[in-house]
Amino acid sequence: MLPKGLEKQLNILDFSLTSLWRRKLKNLSIMLVFALVIFLLGSFQMLTGALTSSAEAVLENTPEITIQKMSAGRQEAIPLAYIEKLRSIYGIRAVIPRIWGYYFDESNLANFTILALELGSMPFDSNLNLTLAHGHFPKKTEPGTAVIGRSVQDILGLDKRRTFSLFRPDLSLKSFKVVGVFSQQTDLLSNDLIVMNLTDARDLFGIPVSMATDLCIYVANPTEIETIAKKIAVLLPDTRVLTKSQIQKTYQVVFSWRSGLASICLLTALVAFAILAWDKASGLSPEEKREIGILKILGWETGDILAVRFWESTLVSALAFIIGCTAAYIHVAFFDASLLKAVMVGWSVIHPPFKLLPSVTLADLLLIFTFSVLPFLGATVIPAWRCATVPPDSVIR
Amino acid sequence: MRPSHTLFIFLLLLIIIDGMLYLHAKRLSKDLKEDQAIQAIAVAGLGLTDLGVATEARYTRHPAVSDPMAPFMDHPGAIEHFPTGSFWSAPTNMFSQKY
Repeated sequence: MLPKGLEKQLNILDFSLTSLWRRKLKNLSIMLVFALVIFLLGSFQMLTGALTSSAEAVLENTPEITIQKMSAGRQEAIPLAYIEKLRSIYGIRAVIPRIWGYYFDESNLANFTILALELGSMPFDSNLNLTLAHGHFPKKTEPGTAVIGRSVQDILGLDKRRTFSLFRPDLSLKSFKVVGVFSQQTDLLSNDLIVMNLTDARDLFGIPVSMATDLCIYVANPTEIETIAKKIAVLLPDTRVLTKSQIQKTYQVVFSWRSGLASICLLTALVAFAILAWDKASGLSPEEKREIGILKILGWETGDILAVRFWESTLVSALAFIIGCTAAYIHVAFFDASLLKAVMVGWSVIHPPFKLLPSVTLADLLLIFTFSVLPFLGATVIPAWRCATVPPDSVIR
Repeated sequence: MRPSHTLFIFLLLLIIIDGMLYLHAKRLSKDLKEDQAIQAIAVAGLGLTDLGVATEARYTRHPAVSDPMAPFMDHPGAIEHFPTGSFWSAPTNMFSQKY
């Protein structure tokens, strides 16, 4: 036997459900549009949250300091002579010159990232082969060899072929032999990568022996990174000094509510909701008013009528919220966020499969709930209260 | 059957689906931790700075080491035209710390 209060609420819930079902086309449409808006917002938040947390997890070991030479507001090659100047700063453990850049493959319209550095001097060097599906990284004694990402292999159509050629700036061809392919596990980082020897990269890009693209600096004491960065900036005023914390910070802000698509999603949601709320708040239909009047004549109290309206709004908005959030998770986890991915990768020919864990945090769910469900409840219950307080005979007449 | 009972059955169905998704998330999280350990080695060993999500423009391939002005550097008065530029917000506070 249910307590009397609960039994009453169950009866009101039954009445609300029947009332919703009577106008099923209208209510189902509202719920679907509402769920769609929540789905879009939820998908965006889950995808960007997943990318941000992935970046946070894997970019822990980026170079402690990166130095780029600037000229006329653009990055240009940095002279290796700067390494000698840097030796005067106490606390620098290693300075590693790096050559990297982009190679546009005109036949496939794909952008590859070419990377070359002295692998033997980098941290975790001994474990680096774990990142490969097969093969090994190019050794100093193996000129003309390269390790490639999985998409590079696909786009170049290598299949079982081991050699490929790239154009130098003077349009002469340089051939490479594939000695390794990156593992599927590193796709998010290495999908478009071609790793080679420094000598080969210089030859490919036409960079003089005395130059590099940038310098990676590792310090003896990580707590001194900021101090050493300041000293470098003073010593080499024509350079831009990036610290590890700045690089990590990038991904905390790069996908945010301020980004264009997020603003569009948010604005669309707000406009959709504003139209809905305006429609609701502008008053009930004569039929709904008459229904309230009849209920009051039959002995219903104002509180009971408000309870009916509350249950109706709660059911529509809460079900839309649950369905929208569930669909958003399924969209990101099982369908690679395919609706957002098209916008996110743009004209990129190479893009990794999004094997990501959708970020579902209480804070995000509460934010979406607060922006969608609570205002909807307010917008539907308040007009009902205004109508319920009017004498019933004036409503049904 | 009372309408509320139908609702409870529907809610139960949603709870079961969400529970299964929760279990899926737990398993995926475990798989991804293994992948992230390998990715961390690649980052340390190759000095990588960015995720390779969008490769169409240098400022979306390597936002961490690109200048925030890079999208507008093609010529004086250039406007940003890559589709991904609408998704990625400029890392505004990245260069706020001057050395």
